[in-house]
Amino acid sequence: MEQVLNQNVIDAVDLKHKKHIRILIITGFVFLVYLIGSILHFDLPNLAKKWNKDRASMFMLDIYAHKDHIKMNWKDPQKIDLRFEGGHRHVYKDDPTWLIRNKNNQSTIVNFDNGGQFVFFPNRVEMRNFPNINEPFIFKLNKNGKPYVDGYVGKESMLPSWMRATENKVEVRPSLYERLQVYGSKVEVHRYELGWKYFWFDFDSPLVGKGFFDAISLMFNEDRVDPKISNFNLVVNEFLENEIWHHNTVLFAMVETLLMAILGTLIASMVGLPLAFLAAYNVTPLSSIRFFLRRLFDMLRGIDMLIWSLIFLRAFGPGLFTGIFAIAFTDTGTLGKLMSEAIENTDKKDKEGIQSTGANKVLQHRFGIIPQILPIFISQSLYYLESNTRAAVIIGAMGAGGIGLHFLGALMTGNDFENVAYMAILVLVAVMCIDTMSAKLRRLLIGIEDKK
Amino acid sequence: MYSDNILGFETIEKNLKAMAFKRLIYSFISILAILFLLSSGLTIAEENNAGSFQRGLSKFFDYPVDLFKEAFESGWRWYAYVFKYLPDLISTINMAFFSTLFGAIFALLLSLFASKNLIKNQYIVTLSRRTMDILRSFPELVIAMIFLYLMGKSELPAVIAIVIHTAGALGKLFSEAIENADNKPIEGLQSCGASWWQRVRFAVIPQVVPLFISYTLLRLEINVRASTILGFVGAGGIGEALSAVIQFRYGDEIIAIMFLLVITIISLDYFSRFLRGRLIGDNK
Amino acid sequence: MLKINNISKYFDQVKAVNNVSINVENSSMIGIIGRSGAGKSTLLRTINRLTDATSGEILFQNQNILDFKKKDKLEWQKNCAMIFQQFNLVPRLDVLTNVMLGKLNEMSTVRASLKLFTSEERHAALNLLNKFGMMQTALQRAETLSGGQQQRVAICRAMMQDPKLILADEPIASLDPLNARLVMESLRKIHDEQNITVICNLHTLDTAKQYCDRIIGMQNGEIVFDDLPSKLTNQKAREIYGAEADEAFEGTMTSVSLESADIKKTA
Ligand SMILES: Nc1ncnc2c1ncn2[C@@H]1O[C@H](COP(=O)(O)OP(=O)(O)O)[C@@H](O)[C@H]1O
Ligand SMILES: [Mg+2]
Repeated sequence: MEQVLNQNVIDAVDLKHKKHIRILIITGFVFLVYLIGSILHFDLPNLAKKWNKDRASMFMLDIYAHKDHIKMNWKDPQKIDLRFEGGHRHVYKDDPTWLIRNKNNQSTIVNFDNGGQFVFFPNRVEMRNFPNINEPFIFKLNKNGKPYVDGYVGKESMLPSWMRATENKVEVRPSLYERLQVYGSKVEVHRYELGWKYFWFDFDSPLVGKGFFDAISLMFNEDRVDPKISNFNLVVNEFLENEIWHHNTVLFAMVETLLMAILGTLIASMVGLPLAFLAAYNVTPLSSIRFFLRRLFDMLRGIDMLIWSLIFLRAFGPGLFTGIFAIAFTDTGTLGKLMSEAIENTDKKDKEGIQSTGANKVLQHRFGIIPQILPIFISQSLYYLESNTRAAVIIGAMGAGGIGLHFLGALMTGNDFENVAYMAILVLVAVMCIDTMSAKLRRLLIGIEDKK
Repeated sequence: MYSDNILGFETIEKNLKAMAFKRLIYSFISILAILFLLSSGLTIAEENNAGSFQRGLSKFFDYPVDLFKEAFESGWRWYAYVFKYLPDLISTINMAFFSTLFGAIFALLLSLFASKNLIKNQYIVTLSRRTMDILRSFPELVIAMIFLYLMGKSELPAVIAIVIHTAGALGKLFSEAIENADNKPIEGLQSCGASWWQRVRFAVIPQVVPLFISYTLLRLEINVRASTILGFVGAGGIGEALSAVIQFRYGDEIIAIMFLLVITIISLDYFSRFLRGRLIGDNK
Repeated sequence: MLKINNISKYFDQVKAVNNVSINVENSSMIGIIGRSGAGKSTLLRTINRLTDATSGEILFQNQNILDFKKKDKLEWQKNCAMIFQQFNLVPRLDVLTNVMLGKLNEMSTVRASLKLFTSEERHAALNLLNKFGMMQTALQRAETLSGGQQQRVAICRAMMQDPKLILADEPIASLDPLNARLVMESLRKIHDEQNITVICNLHTLDTAKQYCDRIIGMQNGEIVFDDLPSKLTNQKAREIYGAEADEAFEGTMTSVSLESADIKKTA
């Protein structure tokens, strides 16, 4: 079986190798050029400059921590103002344990967990005992009512990096968790703590401070906290009407978004499937109908959810209908196209078998085609349900409402980042739930079909 | 014997009937549930919508008709608008292309670690899968808006958001394809003393590459739509142009942009279908 | 040269290979027979380190190859080529590349990944293909070849490894008689010309008797026969094969044996 080494084959092999190297070099070069071009185009080198470090750190901090505002007016040093997150209505009635008022020398001490203190005096603020800061700093007002750091007037550049003194403001930030701002009119301290405080119950709720499990056990406790209302209702009401986290609005918005996705997908699949039958050549003999439906599907898909949302936004105004119809229109096209191809790909033998029993056209399709395409139909519909949940959030943000709009709103206010995070997590959980559920449902339904 | 048979048939028939009945009940319940969902959902929608359903329906054509009228009135100038927005369109397509490319690269890396037949350590597999689940569950808009807020208006936030989502979505499909790949070539190379990466490179990748490319093409189409939408909320490209002309109510330009978009999406659809058909045909 | 001492491999409760010892002093061609499930494949796979043995040791040139880790293990696998029943080629790559993959162990990862094979490698692979009559298919995809052709490509890949030992797991079980003969002759030729030990799992008794210098019979994971082919009586063979005896003896009538009854003598 051995032959003389065939020169033609050797040449062909060598040629192929040369070609391979040439292709390698060209693709490598093209890729490199595209990469460099894109890096310049997307302005990656300037990323560091554009990146808003303050905002980012505030954002991160706000996500996992909360803060209390402690304010003193130089004009009335005894009246210390204590608010949660600086909110209008979130004023502390009683002093927390970390705030100590000393009547004798008219001072007020704000304690931090690391041992540090800011002490308010009628004429100055002192900073004491912070770890790794040996020098006690004192902040005062000069004759013109402008704030300054004692001992550093004219030597502002000598101040530590975490302190900044300008004409109208001294800003002190020994770490992310403590912040002092001294103005000509007032002094404000921000005291950060980890966690989402008041997530379950609001500031002025009778249930404030109760955790999730406390609340659940309270729900089934007979001793009423409020004699007028059962504990169960009280817990639910107090939770929903939380004014810091707005559970009722947020959760309802989430439901709205889910409704948009579910109803949109449902309508799309209910309209898309019959149309798909009409657009399949093995069901509809009339080519004109098929052609028309095919172009309709293309149009519905091609116009895209964005444009549909804009059109429906004009017609229905902001609200669920916009989202439902934008989803339904786009996916009628997608599902119609997909399903009509699936119908055309069905095995002809099944249908002929039914035909041979003398069944009429409708029955032929019912038993000859539907069993074959049902699994595809179900799994595709469920797949679109999952992706439409995400789409509903996006359409919502463009004006249709639901959680998307609330998310955008919270982001734009620029200080409710914990709410932004809350909603982002809620969306994440919802999408993952829909994903898992649809996977389970798919397995269940298709499993039943298979067994049959 | 004879009577036995009769009894057998009877029980079989009884079981069949019971099964048919069960199926009927299930179908009935699901139809009821769907109807209930539809009616209650639409009621909620009607109650919470700004405008009513009927009024909206009658106004459905008003906006498109207005736009088309304006476009028609502007005459020849309209064609100039189409060219005016071409660079924006290209920018959007490039945004989608770039993020699809890099999303696919990340997806490939992730999917290798999420495939049971390549990684024996169950924890790594589970961890990679959960990572992909999380990556693809965030709507692009959520990530893009956060980054837009943190780094100001540019295309980059949209690119980051799409890359993240693409890595998760493609990663899942990729790892499924890898797990369905034939194990024999992998074992063949293992027996020659090929390292892990060499087995991946020469036994796994050649098998899955047609599928990968076809998934990626499908993603590219989805990502063009996504980057248009993200542009609409401030990430540049044709989306941003559309948002601007809508604010100024330039009907003719709105139509020009929509025209560009629809043409792009439809032709991309056909193009990727054609390529995928070739690839899958090639595979056989 | 190769010394297998008390090797066992358990899959949970199943004792696939149970306390097997084999001693190969000089280079020879060894056939392993036994009914399916006897543990033949598992034995070869532990030798190649595709599966890890539960206990025992395998000495090759006085080194316990079961102790090899990472690089040493890969190098052992390079030295111990394996041929499979289903060929285990990469279907979408061309034949030449498939053969050159035998050299993967000696290539740097980057060079291999970019398929930058040297001209020596290409020509060595071509020479091998030529030797086994497969040169014309060099640029075809492996999946377009027939089973027998694929198996010959697999043999070329094995030879590309420059092995010190060749293991073949039922190399002809899915081939037609003519191709089966070609493949068995190739293995025999490799053994004769290059003095490489070949261990070959075979299902048909006759093939084993025709081509091998020594036959090992396995039953329930244990060795029940280990001697010259001539010492294997029909009765013993029936015992080894059990219920599959008829099928295994059927090989007598296939063409593998017809024309090549005297191959050992001529070689
Ligand atoms: N990966 C595995 N997992 C579990 N059991 C296995 C595995 N591989 C082989 N076995 C079992 O080991 C025994 C021997 O198998 P094998 O070596 O393939 O036999 P042979 O090649 O002689 O037909 C069989 O009982 C088989 O079921
Ligand atoms: Mg076997």
